[in-house]
Amino acid sequence: MEIWRLPISASQRGKLISAGYTSLSSLSSISSSDLARELKVSESEAMNILKVASHSRGSETSNASCSIVEGAQSAWDMLHDEESLMHITTSSADLDNILGGGIRCKEVTEIGGVPGIGKTQLGIQVAVNVQIPNDFGGLGGKAIYIDTEGSFMVERAFQIAEACIEDMSEYNRFLRKDFQECKIKMLPQDILENIFYFRICSYTEQIALINYLDKFLSEHKDVKVIVVDSVTFHFRQDFDDMALRTRVLSGMALKLMNLAKRFSLAVVLLNQVTTKHTEASFQLALALGDSWSHTCTNRIVLYWNGNERYAYIDKSPSLRSASAAYSVTARGIRNSSSSCKRIKMM
Amino acid sequence: MTPQSLLQLTSQKCTTGCPILDRLLYGGIPCDSITEIVAESGSGKTQICLQLSLHAQLPVSHGGLAASSLYLHTEFPFPFRRLHQLCLSFRSSNAHHFPVNDNPCDRIFVQSVHTADHLLEIMSKTDPFIENSKNQVPVRLIVIDSIAALFRSDFDNTPVELKRRSSLFFKISSKLKALAKRFNLAVLVTNQVVDLVGPNEGINGLRIGNLVCLHTSGRRVCPALGLAWANCVNSRLFLSRNEEVIREENEKSNGQSCDFVKKKMRKLYVVFAPHLPESSCEFEITREGLFGVER
Repeated sequence: MEIWRLPISASQRGKLISAGYTSLSSLSSISSSDLARELKVSESEAMNILKVASHSRGSETSNASCSIVEGAQSAWDMLHDEESLMHITTSSADLDNILGGGIRCKEVTEIGGVPGIGKTQLGIQVAVNVQIPNDFGGLGGKAIYIDTEGSFMVERAFQIAEACIEDMSEYNRFLRKDFQECKIKMLPQDILENIFYFRICSYTEQIALINYLDKFLSEHKDVKVIVVDSVTFHFRQDFDDMALRTRVLSGMALKLMNLAKRFSLAVVLLNQVTTKHTEASFQLALALGDSWSHTCTNRIVLYWNGNERYAYIDKSPSLRSASAAYSVTARGIRNSSSSCKRIKMM
Repeated sequence: MTPQSLLQLTSQKCTTGCPILDRLLYGGIPCDSITEIVAESGSGKTQICLQLSLHAQLPVSHGGLAASSLYLHTEFPFPFRRLHQLCLSFRSSNAHHFPVNDNPCDRIFVQSVHTADHLLEIMSKTDPFIENSKNQVPVRLIVIDSIAALFRSDFDNTPVELKRRSSLFFKISSKLKALAKRFNLAVLVTNQVVDLVGPNEGINGLRIGNLVCLHTSGRRVCPALGLAWANCVNSRLFLSRNEEVIREENEKSNGQSCDFVKKKMRKLYVVFAPHLPESSCEFEITREGLFGVER
């Protein structure tokens, strides 16, 4: 409706409407190059259109918006938002493939596995990879690492950061031979500085910290990932009241989900594995029970298959079930080196 | 709540007293973390514990923690004589760090523990104990030898009891980690092994860590206390011992011949650790202590 009011030429207006852009808000999250491609116009024309649109949006009052409920978004706008979301790579191409590009922002991803499978390694890798600058396809953001178990070793994070910078330099050398200005000026120390590390020793501290994150994130808007390693540890002691535990956990999950959506960041929760006794046989399940398993958006299970480490998408609203092999090397998480690796679709 | 600066957070390590083992462990046993040593009896767990308690007293410049240690033992008797023997050789090789009439054994505090609840009780008293020790030589190493003995008999095999047992694991581990963080301690815990019987091993056959299966003395074993306890420790090391038949060349008067000799082969494996790759090394136990062997 508002497109009619934009001071643009009739042909441009016609192209916008036939491409599906009927409201100003749909133009708010698209980049000029994408718009140029969709409308088949030059990029400068697209930039002009966007400038005009944002100008008129700024001067409009709120009751001109076409949403029925305050704060609601049309599905079309949400689709645009989703497509423009970036992912955090895990440094393993196979793993990124089954994840649809990497760990997604605005969602809570739970990763669980037996001890020694690489959960902490994956957590550190994500905290380092979120800092990859935009030029290299990363988010260029900072990370919050909440350590409840004491598994975080600074020297290992340093090793992974060093390897990440080396990989970026390699990429630089291959693709941008003429652009000298894209030299890597990052040092491993800079990467470590951009990880906000919190060490938690009890479940009350954990809840208090998650409550405090709201304020922290409003002051540090460039944080793009929160890693909690592990979310389970302090909740597996004797809670006399199990109902209290479930309430506390769901409250915590809700808060994290809100933080993810509000600040457009990714939340990665690392979980432990426990056994469920079913009819005299055992089954492995992620800890914290059935009600917790409903609270996360995505769930990835890490497991051993022969001599290889595998990741399996257990639950996801948009990804299909698949598993991929990965390995933990001195440089961090990488593709598995076995020759017969294959991504299995279930 | 403020985040800690990672650049100032260097993890200190306590040397094991042997450069080969230190190289395998990237410096030694880390502080602010629980390291578990799993082995069958007679493999050298207590030897490593005693050796570490002594070497923790070395100054930081030489890889130690300049600290005294708290040794909680659950199996009787405490090896006083062996500690004394190790102490003598420790003194003679590190005489320049200590005054003449000094006895390193004075800086190892030994306490016996009987049950899991007793351990929890002791840990609540440990807080003020370590606080007070800051005035003399601070305590920076806690050894629990062994944690398995506390749990092997008290619990029935019913789901309720097993749940209570798991709950205790997390409680103890949580307290130990809180202590470790507060006073920057290294915590060393030893664990026993149980046999894996039959091809269908069930939950005990679940692979945890780098090794598909742990072998010692020709049997397949797995660490005691199960999956719940495995989630409570930060790093796990495995000591194996095997009798190997080795060909030895012997020069005799009537020319060369070879004998087949049975030798004890001892190996230390890294099962899982956040900072260590999959690795192993051979070691031997002598009068002077436990040392790695480079082949």
